[in-house]
Order: sequence, then C-alpha cells, then structure tokens
Amino acid sequence: MASAPVSVEADPPSISSPSLHSASSSFPLANWYHRFSSWRKTLDLPNPGTVENLQKEVKLTSLNNYFFDGGRADINKTLSASPLFQVTHSFALGSQSAPPSYNFGAVFGSNNVFLQGSIDHEGNVNGRFNQGWSASNVSKIQAQLSEQKGHSMVQLEHDYMGQDYSLNVKAMNPSPLDLTGIYIGSYLQSLTKNIALGVETVLQKPTPDVSESTTSYIAKFTSSDKNWIATAHVQPSGIFQTTYWQKLSEKLEVAADLQMVALPQRRDAIATLSAKWDLRMSTFRAQLDSKGKISAVLESRFAPTFAFLVSGEIDHFQNAAKVGVGVMVESSPLTPEEMGLTQGPPPQL
Amino acid sequence: MPSEETKERIIKTIELGRTVLHYGWIPFIIYIGYTRSNPQPSLVKLITPLA
Repeated sequence: MASAPVSVEADPPSISSPSLHSASSSFPLANWYHRFSSWRKTLDLPNPGTVENLQKEVKLTSLNNYFFDGGRADINKTLSASPLFQVTHSFALGSQSAPPSYNFGAVFGSNNVFLQGSIDHEGNVNGRFNQGWSASNVSKIQAQLSEQKGHSMVQLEHDYMGQDYSLNVKAMNPSPLDLTGIYIGSYLQSLTKNIALGVETVLQKPTPDVSESTTSYIAKFTSSDKNWIATAHVQPSGIFQTTYWQKLSEKLEVAADLQMVALPQRRDAIATLSAKWDLRMSTFRAQLDSKGKISAVLESRFAPTFAFLVSGEIDHFQNAAKVGVGVMVESSPLTPEEMGLTQGPPPQL
Repeated sequence: MPSEETKERIIKTIELGRTVLHYGWIPFIIYIGYTRSNPQPSLVKLITPLA
C-alpha cells in the first residue's frame, strides 16, 4: 500500500521525475505488479467472505446448531453493553444424548478485542481470544483445556481480508519442538461480482516423519442482490458438499444442503431442507432430511427478557422421537423500553 | 536441533502455561470485564444466577 503513490507518479511519462521513472523501469517486476494491482482495483470486486463463513447463512437457517432435547435453562446477564460484558449460566437436564450439565460462560468484547470463556461442572474450560489488528487483520486463538490427558487442544488462526480475496491460516495443536500438528491454509478469491473460487489445503503431521496433505476446492455464487447464495466444496478424495440458501421475504429464509461421501470404504449421502421464519416475537425453524428426520424448534419471546423454547424431532426410519423444552431469561442494566427499541423487526403481524 | 535439556524445559513451560490458562482464563475475563464495564456492576450481581 505504501508504494502505491510511486506507481501513480511513475505511470505518466513525465520528464520532471527521471530518477523515479528509471527506478521503476529497472525493476520491471515491481512495475508490472503496480499495474496489475491498479487494474485489479478498477475491477472493484467485493470481498468474498472467509472460507469458514462459506456456509454461514445455511447454518443460521438450519437447526443443527439450535436443536436440543430434554430440559434447558439459560440465564443471561448483560452487565455492560459497551464494552460488552456478559455472564451466562446454562443448565441442561434429561437429554437422550448428553448427561445433565451445568455451564458457566463469560464474554467480554470491545472494539478490537473479544474474550470468551466457559467452564462446565467437570472443570473443562473452553476459551476464545480474538484480536483485531486492523479492519482486515484478525488473529484468533481457541483452546480447550481438560484435566484428562489428550483432550486438550489449541488452535491458532489468522485471517486476512483483502479487497477482493480472503486468506486464512490455521495451526491446530502445533508443537514447537517437532512441528507436529494440523496446519490449514485457505484462499478465496472473487472472480466476478458474483463468483468466488478458492482452495483449502490441510497438512497433517501426526509424527515428525509422517506428513499428509489434502487440497479441496471451493466455489461460491452470490446473487447480485445477495438474496441467494450457492456454494460447493469438493475434496478430490470423494467428499462433496453443496448448499443453497435463499431469502424469500423479510421473514422467511430457506436452505438446502447436500453432502455426498464416495470413499472406497464408505458411500453415503444426506440431503437436508430447512426453513426459518422470523416472526414478530418468535423464531420458528423447521427441517426435513433424507434420513427420515423431521424436526422443528420454536423460540417464543414473551417479554424482552424472557423466551420460551420448544423443540421436537421425529425419526421416521428409526421410529424414535425427541422433545425439548427450555427457558431463556435475560437480565440487563438497560430498561425494558431501551431493550424494546433494539428488538427485531417492527410489529406487522 | 535443541538439546534434550531445552526440550524438557519447553515441554515444562507449555505444561505450566496450560495449567495457568485452565485455572486463570475465566477469572481473567471476569476481572477484565468487571474493571472495564461501564457502569461497574456489583459483585453479587456478577456471581449469583438469581439477582
């Protein structure tokens, strides 16, 4: 960026700055680079978003991250809004898949620092630390700390968002002694205003003398009005995932997801259709998949500080069902009027 | 290649850092949040679920 003015001065063939002109012509590579980058700037391509957020819209619509069974209670306390400081107590009971648990979480966020931590009743700690250096550079550290040997892990990550590309490098459990661990690098580049293509390489090094790398390819198509997004992620070994998300109206979003595994030892495919309705005081998510599961979650906000959740799932092929009920209580130093102002879409229904 | 002694020391340092983070991370966030919050909340409100 610092060398951009040089190219501006060097481009017009002026006699007033012969030294600059000769300097840039004696480094043709630098000259070409400046021409290339100014040409790239004139294309005015948007940033394609990160590879991690490739399927963000689909994940927010589908209820994989929202489904629960059994009983659940969350108590959320916002102690300060700016900087953000929040503590959470969550209780879960009677789930078919997980034992009863208690979880305490704390979140602190200011303009460029984000700290998050949670601890469960067994003493396992999850931590997250994000540091934003500038608008386009973010470093992230994630850790899972456990008393049990071999359950701890740490992930170091750096995100760089260029004008029309995103770059991300990750290291999972890197050992400074023998460099074992998992290393992931990804790059996503906008080719036109709608299409972005990218690659992701995973290098696995379980022991110092074994290393294995796999590369996968990514494509993302965003419509001009950003109302629908289609993505594809292909691993040449035989794993293929494609998603489609569309915003049908202010209140309704739908998503489709198809995952295919065609490895020599396993052949499998699953398709999922999901929809999300954002109503005035509630959110309803419903999902149907090709394994015969129908599920739905209703989150109903009776008051700005109190929400009630109901969830259910029927597995038609296995003849099984799950039901969940939950409450969410929020307390905040803000008055109810202030919170009412910051709440979702205006009453229309 | 570092010597066995340095290796040992690095492993010990990592182990110590892990332990410190395990016990100190949540208290650290609460301390940062408590001191930077505006307005500063009361300690009772911070810890008890019902307040």
